[in-house]
Amino acid sequence: MEIGQTARATQVWPWISTVARLGLAAVWLIAGGLKVGDLAASGRAVNAYQIFPYEVAKVIGAAQPFLEIALGLLLLAGLAVRLSAGISAALLVIFIAGIVSAWVRGLQIDCGCFSTGGALGAGAEPAYGLDIARDLGFLALAGILLWRPRTRFSIDGILMGDDQ
Amino acid sequence: MSKGTKERAQAKRIVQEQLARERRRTVTLWTTIGVVAVLVIAGFIGWAAAASRDKDTSGKLTVPTVAVDDGTAFARGSGPVNIDIYEDFMCPACHQFETGAGPTLTQLVDAGKVTVRYHPIAILDRYSSTEYSTRSAGASAAAAQGGKFLEYHDVLYANQPPENSAGLDDAKLIELGTSVGLTDQAFADAIKNKTYTAWATKVTDTASSRGVTGTPTVMVAGKKLDNPTPEALSAAVGAAGA
Repeated sequence: MEIGQTARATQVWPWISTVARLGLAAVWLIAGGLKVGDLAASGRAVNAYQIFPYEVAKVIGAAQPFLEIALGLLLLAGLAVRLSAGISAALLVIFIAGIVSAWVRGLQIDCGCFSTGGALGAGAEPAYGLDIARDLGFLALAGILLWRPRTRFSIDGILMGDDQ
Repeated sequence: MSKGTKERAQAKRIVQEQLARERRRTVTLWTTIGVVAVLVIAGFIGWAAAASRDKDTSGKLTVPTVAVDDGTAFARGSGPVNIDIYEDFMCPACHQFETGAGPTLTQLVDAGKVTVRYHPIAILDRYSSTEYSTRSAGASAAAAQGGKFLEYHDVLYANQPPENSAGLDDAKLIELGTSVGLTDQAFADAIKNKTYTAWATKVTDTASSRGVTGTPTVMVAGKKLDNPTPEALSAAVGAAGA
């Protein structure tokens, strides 16, 4: 009975992890894709957090969409899933910290998570709580992959010689 | 099964497991290198794209000769207290600000108390399909060069296109200029040739480096007003000693 359950868990986890992997890949591809068309705006979104000098924010804002897309493609392909998930988790923790810091300082900004952000117009309320909750959800996906990085339909699997 | 066969099978399995472990280690090493390389290259592409944009901007930059404040603003009046207004012609809140605070600004300028410096920045290009923010900011520079910045500024707000539209096209921008007396060919040419597009980008960058993250941003004597109502404007100008 117990052995049966363990065996089933061994079979089920790669599928759960596969869903997490593709979900996280979609998150990065969408987030990066929405920003990559206007790098200047992306730089301004980083600048709106008022953490870095503008020159630094500009470079971060320009590099970030490309990093997000690259990470999305790596996860989609399933290459070095544990590492890609670890980097995803690290990025998400940084993003959450940024949003918390903007919240604490009372800044009125759009987080720029899935847009090119910036200051909010008069009367618009920031949605920091929702943004953080959403990022925590993504962090959970990354957590699943860190814990169980073996997935179906991945380059990792092919290279390792897993039977698919 | 004889003892010898069993031992041989076991030895074979151990060797196979070792080989598999070896293979996993090799795969992990190379995929790690691959991932790091891909991410480094991606970051570099972003950095290069931003750098080439900066180079483009400085290469094509034409600064209107009438511009003040390092060539990033147009002045109105000559009073002792500076009021810096950072606006985007696409921004509805800026239109509201102009409608609400316009008379107060005029009064302060006429009383010789303030110099209003208009910074036409372009941060809302995503709200039109034609980068109206940048085009209108550039057109306002052409108007300033023709000596009619304020008139053109007012008529642009009076004809502000809605967000998520195509914005006003170049013909309309020229026509609005004509309506305020910008009838010379130089104005129309500057709009058609996008003479001040790079300048609009530079003004926007300068504003960002000064901590402007939204529009309208109003500063009196260098201090940002959180809520730029006419009353707050007058009070801040009074506090600044005029």
